[in-house]
Amino acid sequence: MKEFEPKIIGFCCNWCTYAGADLAGVSRLQMPPDFRMIRVMCSGTIDPLFVMEAFQKGADGIFIGGCHIGDCHYQTGNHRTKKRVAILKKILSYLGIDPRRVRLEWVSAAEGQKFAEVVTDFVAEIKRLGPNPLKRKFEA
Amino acid sequence: MIEKLKKLAKEYLVSGKVEVIFGLREKDNHLAPHIFTKVEELDSLVVSPQYPLFYTCRPSKKNIIRLIEEKYPDIKIGVIVKGCEERALIELAKRNQIEMKNIEILGVACSREEAVECKCPRPYPNHPLLGEKVEGVFEDKNIEGLLNKGWSERLAFWQSQLSKCIKCYGCRNACPLCFCQDCAMEQELWSKIGEIPPEIPMFHFIRFYHLADRCIECGECEKACPMDIPLLTISKQVRKDVKELFNYESGLDVKQESPLLTTLDEMPMKEGANE
Ligand code: SF4
Ligand code: SF4
Ligand code: FES
Repeated sequence: MKEFEPKIIGFCCNWCTYAGADLAGVSRLQMPPDFRMIRVMCSGTIDPLFVMEAFQKGADGIFIGGCHIGDCHYQTGNHRTKKRVAILKKILSYLGIDPRRVRLEWVSAAEGQKFAEVVTDFVAEIKRLGPNPLKRKFEA
Repeated sequence: MIEKLKKLAKEYLVSGKVEVIFGLREKDNHLAPHIFTKVEELDSLVVSPQYPLFYTCRPSKKNIIRLIEEKYPDIKIGVIVKGCEERALIELAKRNQIEMKNIEILGVACSREEAVECKCPRPYPNHPLLGEKVEGVFEDKNIEGLLNKGWSERLAFWQSQLSKCIKCYGCRNACPLCFCQDCAMEQELWSKIGEIPPEIPMFHFIRFYHLADRCIECGECEKACPMDIPLLTISKQVRKDVKELFNYESGLDVKQESPLLTTLDEMPMKEGANE
């Protein structure tokens, strides 16, 4: 049987996590290949509908990366992200989508190492959880 | 109780405390909202948990109270409300959908039986002029069944429920807090136009998420659904979560801003919730 290769979408804030990812790349840290990144200007621009849309289109996990609280370049964008993600996860769980499929992390531009770690960990977690259950509809 | 209410409403009119009364009228065996201007008319006044007074009028997407306010800007209006309707008014005022400047609230509490019928958690307005504050309903057999189940069983439950959807938009149209000019549920981007059932769970997720901090648990969405989808089950649970996370309840106080519109400093979130 072919090993499950998850599709993971990462919404990353331009100012921190995206730069952190860049640093991880430049430092040649080992990174799982299953991670597709979408750069956004602030984690506060990530509408939970984007996350649901990604699930609907077959993503197995969604990573959201923003600046640490206090460091958002738009002051409080990430305050909203944090609140929205909390509610999003609750709704996902009632609908039967394991909320661990969504991961919110704060990663600064200097934290290339942390980026590599959290992403590796997340990819491993999604591998454990298996394919997105909404996808079965397409494959059946 | 209805006789007492009629008497009270008449007093409000006669004394000039208000110039008109907005409430439900029974005419030829039908109930409908009505603006009462004369004392005699008030003999046909009724209250009913089955008929909401405040709905979003289409196509303007304005609440009926807003339309009345616009049409009669200088008239003092007495409005007869049950608990859910008062919460709707408060939440609408908080979100600048109505003014409330000339609105005088006449609050009526519902009975325990009525609360059970509506699965209402708070069957009374903040200051009822009539009726007693009886205990609300918190348990929900659907969610209790769901919470004890695993992810795949929950998903299977909702896939079968939501696939009954005929996309009539009744749930949205009946909701007093659905007032966006451009509704995401109508946008091709999120849910294909002309496709039945709509994408699951995206279509319904839009409502659950957008109403997370607004839902006042009136149950109108579920009552409106012709396919008997237990929509309130999720909304109720989310409202409970919002309360636990932020110690916030919609529809109680105009001055209390929504947690989703405020920063963590203004309204903190209980820690550990993102895990
Ligand atoms: S119970 Fe339904 S209709 Fe009433 S406010 Fe909540 S979502 Fe809207
Ligand atoms: S009222 Fe029921 S059938 Fe109509 S759109 Fe809403 S969920 Fe679907
Ligand atoms: S700018 Fe990075 S989270 Fe707002």
